[in-house]
Amino acid sequence: MRGETVSEAATLGRVAGERSARQGDLAPTRRRAWPRLSAYLLLAPSFVFLIAFTYWPVLRVLASSLTVHRFGTATTIGLSNYARLFADPHFGGAVFNNLVYAAGTIVPSLTLALALAVALRDSTRFTALLRTVIALPLLIPLVAAASLFIFIFLPGGGLLDHYLARLGSGWDQTNWLGDPSLALGSIIAITVWKNTGYYMLFFLAGLAGIPNELIDAAKIDGAGPVQRFVRVTLPLLGPTLAFVLIIALLNVLTQVDHVIVMTQGGPSDSTSLVLYYIYQQAHQNNDLGLASAATVISVAFLFALSTISLRGLERGIHYET
Amino acid sequence: MLRFARNDRGAWLVLLFPSAAALLWAIPFAWMALASLRQGSAGSADIASLLPAPPFSLENFSDAWTSGHFPLWYGNTILLCGGILAVQCVTVSLAGYAFARLRFPGKEFLFYAFLLQLMLVPPILIVPNMSTLVSLGLYDTLLGVMAPYFASAFGVFLMRQTFRNIPREYEEAALVDGATRLQIIFRVLLPLARPGLAAFAIVSVTSHWNEFLWPLMATSSPSNQVLTVGLASFTSGAEAGSEWGVVAAGTFLVAAPLLVLFVLFQRQFVESFTYSGIK
Amino acid sequence: MRLFTAAAVAAMVLPGVMPGLARAATELDLFFPVPVQGKLAVEMQRLIEKFDQEHPDIHVTAVYTGSYDDTNVKTRAAIQAGKPPGAVIMSANFVREYVINDEVVSFDDMAAKDGQTPAAFMAEFWPALRLNAMENGHVYGVPFQNSTPLLYYSVDAFKEAELDPDHPPVTWQDWVDDLRKLAKHDGAQTSRWGLMFPGTYDYLGWITSGFAMSNGGEYYNPGYGGEVYYNTPTTIGAVRFIDDLVHKWKVMPEGVTDANAVTTAFFQGRTAMMVLSTGSLSFVRDNMKTPYRAAFLPRALVNAAPIGGASLILPKGNSPERQAAAWTLIKWLVSPEIAGGWSRFTGYFSPRIAAYDLPEMKAYLGEHADAKVALDQLAYARGWFSTYNTVAVRKALEDGVQAVLSGKTTPEAAMAEAQKQADALMKPYVEQTALKPLE
Repeated sequence: MRGETVSEAATLGRVAGERSARQGDLAPTRRRAWPRLSAYLLLAPSFVFLIAFTYWPVLRVLASSLTVHRFGTATTIGLSNYARLFADPHFGGAVFNNLVYAAGTIVPSLTLALALAVALRDSTRFTALLRTVIALPLLIPLVAAASLFIFIFLPGGGLLDHYLARLGSGWDQTNWLGDPSLALGSIIAITVWKNTGYYMLFFLAGLAGIPNELIDAAKIDGAGPVQRFVRVTLPLLGPTLAFVLIIALLNVLTQVDHVIVMTQGGPSDSTSLVLYYIYQQAHQNNDLGLASAATVISVAFLFALSTISLRGLERGIHYET
Repeated sequence: MLRFARNDRGAWLVLLFPSAAALLWAIPFAWMALASLRQGSAGSADIASLLPAPPFSLENFSDAWTSGHFPLWYGNTILLCGGILAVQCVTVSLAGYAFARLRFPGKEFLFYAFLLQLMLVPPILIVPNMSTLVSLGLYDTLLGVMAPYFASAFGVFLMRQTFRNIPREYEEAALVDGATRLQIIFRVLLPLARPGLAAFAIVSVTSHWNEFLWPLMATSSPSNQVLTVGLASFTSGAEAGSEWGVVAAGTFLVAAPLLVLFVLFQRQFVESFTYSGIK
Repeated sequence: MRLFTAAAVAAMVLPGVMPGLARAATELDLFFPVPVQGKLAVEMQRLIEKFDQEHPDIHVTAVYTGSYDDTNVKTRAAIQAGKPPGAVIMSANFVREYVINDEVVSFDDMAAKDGQTPAAFMAEFWPALRLNAMENGHVYGVPFQNSTPLLYYSVDAFKEAELDPDHPPVTWQDWVDDLRKLAKHDGAQTSRWGLMFPGTYDYLGWITSGFAMSNGGEYYNPGYGGEVYYNTPTTIGAVRFIDDLVHKWKVMPEGVTDANAVTTAFFQGRTAMMVLSTGSLSFVRDNMKTPYRAAFLPRALVNAAPIGGASLILPKGNSPERQAAAWTLIKWLVSPEIAGGWSRFTGYFSPRIAAYDLPEMKAYLGEHADAKVALDQLAYARGWFSTYNTVAVRKALEDGVQAVLSGKTTPEAAMAEAQKQADALMKPYVEQTALKPLE
């Protein structure tokens, strides 16, 4: 499992852990006096920050989204920011782009990650090497990936076009980041490159958790490799899949570093994503109302996502290698 | 699962696909390594070549080092990650213990409150968090950049899990000896929870080392820049111009520490990330 | 680099070690952008260190804040956070917006203390710069570095195409004829383009405004921040010209190219000509290994070029001591010697007329014909696009031109849409000013 020196606790724990892993049932007489106050005290430090930087901001942004400033007039309360938001073609464009981006990143990266995990399931020196290479991108910041890809995508002289020219393909002048129909695809490619290895690690862990007995039993029943995968493996990977899907969705909404550094939402707004739109409105156009309204929409989406996926999150949290 | 005998032709075929993928995936890093070692990069026709060609030189690294502010950026980033981790260790241990061992009203509700924090990450809340920083007078300080991360839901869950796996005998023995709860947490449990803490540390440091949008927004003076923000201004800014070798070298300088640590401590990294790998 | 870290560490330690010294010096931070390629940030740090040495009672920290747009964002954020910088080198065309939002202090009073009226003060600077520096007769921006777009061209490419390098194109028609000879196509592939220019935000709008003005147009209302002229024949004609360069005569690549890609291509000989800021003059000089020249932007109906560049502004909210210190810094930065030196180092032309009377400058211009071209083009320079909510209004146009560059839409449709968006963006301002009903 973990391979490093297993601590005493872990060895003992496997036996004793099951026994005592029930909610707070230590020696009853001494406990009763303490739990309430001390529990809250113990939680307090975390909660102070949780409230200050997660929950209070949500309330605050809700309030500022309902505050309407207009040049030269008095401030009022109202829904006009939302009206402007929904009427703004840039917001609609950002939402549309985000949806395309979501499909374009999640489907390939999850499929690839699963396929790679399956193919690299056995642990040999060679597979470990391959796994490492594919997982490396998860360690570098997205802006570092962006700075490498700025060159890779450079029209005419960049890496991609250079080799396309060698192949004589006629694509050698392609402006990967400067053509509105290609730019989003290029951004998607960077994201897939960066995240696939990360998702692969989860699938590897998930696959490792499937007991061999089940696979062997299926083999004995005469199931072929594909059937074994579909009938046995995939269902058992369900929790992992759900978990990775949630992470991927979260990334779709929260990773915009590459857009900020490479395309600034362009060309012609084709790479603008919702979080980028928020950043733009807040800091370039100084339109706090629009930025807040868009933030509220995003937060609402995340709320919805978390309510649906709470089960998946919990199971993922409890996942042990 | 798809299993083939060692000597089966099929084994080779199965590995063909990931080998090709790995080759493809390695290209950006390969270019980064080669271009940073190549001489005379601005406008040279072979800057895109993936074939190593001597002579190699370190002048791109020295150019990057002098036109960037790497010592400052490294310093700030280490301070940032270290500061966050230090406070997190305290908050998550305390909260993790409470969830692991204690019963109290509202436990379920508070647990879900933490769970929600996994989704409401700081980049989404940049607009209101900026106002909070300003009100607290923390705008343009490293402390301001650290603050939203001091509470870590992921850390709390991890520690809860870890503590639950530690047999109660240890605690009970300590209680008999008259230890206070805090002493139990820090003197007895944490040392036993080292693997879990290590896993958490790896995930925390990695994710904050690579954080960009929030540090970008929360700081403005160059003296407060971290590696990611510095790299962005270094690359897309005018200083690099079209000196791609220098850009590659600069990128390498930013990415190197974590890459090196990963290659050295691969197993630990991989396990940490899969051990519920949300930052 | 080491000098900088040493200076930075010293700056942090010294006040503690020598409290007497620190107490006397007024602390000032100067935000400055570097929007063009080249080692400008390092040179600026050096200049500031020199200033600090010459003025022991003031201590300036030079803060590099990225591009013009980034500097704008950072300055705004700092002002709103209650920590306004002492002075900012701000893109000249953003000054108007800061005036509209009442975020800057006018220089009139300080000039008056030195015995100068606003008009007299501005008389020290080239006439074309006054439009962006003044608002309603008051001075809000002191010009620091200025540029116009220049046409750079490769001598070798010209000779290869049997064109005379001493006679660059003067009109758009000449230009097109030359470009068609310069571009080299091998079937579907192009080994050398005729022309490239940056199509990214800010650069594109700047260059397009030049074309529009050359086509007889006004592009925006220089006297009022609520009006732009996108959907007009002059602008549409200019955008059509750009469209044809890409799609009709195929002398320019499709899509949006950024400045780094443009210069890389020029240095590698993959484009014969490029339109780039004079601010990059030194960068081009250092990196272009084959002979090249600079020329005016060719004209359609009239010679015209937009001013680019940055001015020094004084944010509101600083103490009188800081403001006085900032004024000293500003006057020093635009003194003929310093301004001249900066111009020679970068390629920006010096906004200060007197700088050109100094012997170093005369020698420099004698040696560098390309720098002289930039100066001569000043005679045709016009103001830089500046409105309420400049960045968003500018982007409305740029999104349209980018779509045209990529073949997604026609110039007419793009400009109609751009005008619509721009008007919507400026509406709040217009309703409170030009269209405000009287009681």
